[in-house]
Amino acid sequence: MAELVVGVADLKVSDNPHDILVTYALGSCIGVAVFDPVSKVGGLIHFMLPDSTLDPEKAREKPAMFADTGIPMLFKSCYELGAEKKRILVKVAGGASILEDSNYFRIGQKNIMALRKIFWKNNVLIAAENTGKNCNRTVRLHVGTGEVCVRIPGEEMIKL
Amino acid sequence: MKTMDRILRSIKNIPAFPATAQKVAAVMGNPDYSITHVVNIIKFDASITANILRIANSAYFGVRRISSLHDAVVFLGQENIVRAIQVSGISKYFKKASGYGLNGPELWRHSVGVALMTQIISRKISGREDTKLFTAGLLHDIGKVILGEFVDDSIRRINGLVNDHGYSFIRAEEEVLGMNHAEVGGKMAQQWNFPQDIRDSITYHHRPDLMEKGENLFCWIIYLADQVCLMAGVGGGADGLAYWGLKDVIEILKIRQKDVEMGIIELLKDLESAKELIEII
Repeated sequence: MAELVVGVADLKVSDNPHDILVTYALGSCIGVAVFDPVSKVGGLIHFMLPDSTLDPEKAREKPAMFADTGIPMLFKSCYELGAEKKRILVKVAGGASILEDSNYFRIGQKNIMALRKIFWKNNVLIAAENTGKNCNRTVRLHVGTGEVCVRIPGEEMIKL
Repeated sequence: MKTMDRILRSIKNIPAFPATAQKVAAVMGNPDYSITHVVNIIKFDASITANILRIANSAYFGVRRISSLHDAVVFLGQENIVRAIQVSGISKYFKKASGYGLNGPELWRHSVGVALMTQIISRKISGREDTKLFTAGLLHDIGKVILGEFVDDSIRRINGLVNDHGYSFIRAEEEVLGMNHAEVGGKMAQQWNFPQDIRDSITYHHRPDLMEKGENLFCWIIYLADQVCLMAGVGGGADGLAYWGLKDVIEILKIRQKDVEMGIIELLKDLESAKELIEII
């Protein structure tokens, strides 16, 4: 079993059933795990911010930094390995906020909203999610089975 | 023995802050200091010398291929030499630490992240960097080095108060352990004779609004830098983001949502160029 670490503002895809894609400490960032059960292709992105218009140059250099440039790239990278859109299962974790974060610096909520908008526009359903609140999450996608696990420090492992 | 007494005893037993770091800071405070004098203080401390050479070659400081201590002092300049020495001195305490669901290197990575973020904020609001803020950033969570094991032992009770009763993490620490990590850190910095503004910025780094006197702008910058790192997931642990958001920070630092988002992008870049500072332990 090889654990492939997906860094911040990064994405990875794999069709090797022995791979586990993992991303650590999401904070307000979001991890999106996608899996096609037929072609057994999986992918994971760790994006930081909702909107690439903030810094278009950065978005060209690191598309996975933003929801609107990273998520399409995640899907395209999976298609290249043989995945098909209609079969892809989407699971989401992250987007935490600081307490009483209703009036300012709503990075977590903005990330969740941006992600829902993108999926809604593209007719993609979210199969399962563990988002919001104020905890850190680590996400693992087992490429062989499509199983997605979320780990919150000090708590039991959650299967999405 | 009560938990709080055990915590206080651990604070008392923490090893003294490296004398070399204090001496260099004192010498460099004199405008007529000589490079030779600084080199002579540092060179007898083998571990600081080795660390300075590693740190000096970090892309973050913009100079490359420094192979002697003398060159490091000449090319880095006063501010960066002080930073390199603080990184070397403070990182030692994180080496064997663990807690908040993290190991020492992960706790340290968060400290460096906050130090880097204080400079991004400082450049944004005053157009310049600030070495004292950098040091305070490195130190802000030093209390976790001591409180970590106590927190891990009681993590279910603490998480219960946070998840089911709406406590912030530091309030839950106080309730369960008798003290919070910010307070513990402030006491450690006092024991090490750090100046008042650095001590206060540690003690109040989650609640700068409770600070009554002194240079609280300093403290608000540490607060914001910490919050940004928590949001960006830089060394985030079991405490997660369970700290109060204080919207006064917008007025006090004159900072907008967009500045924070741009700051996160800049932080990611700085974390890459400063990897030698993170990997020092």
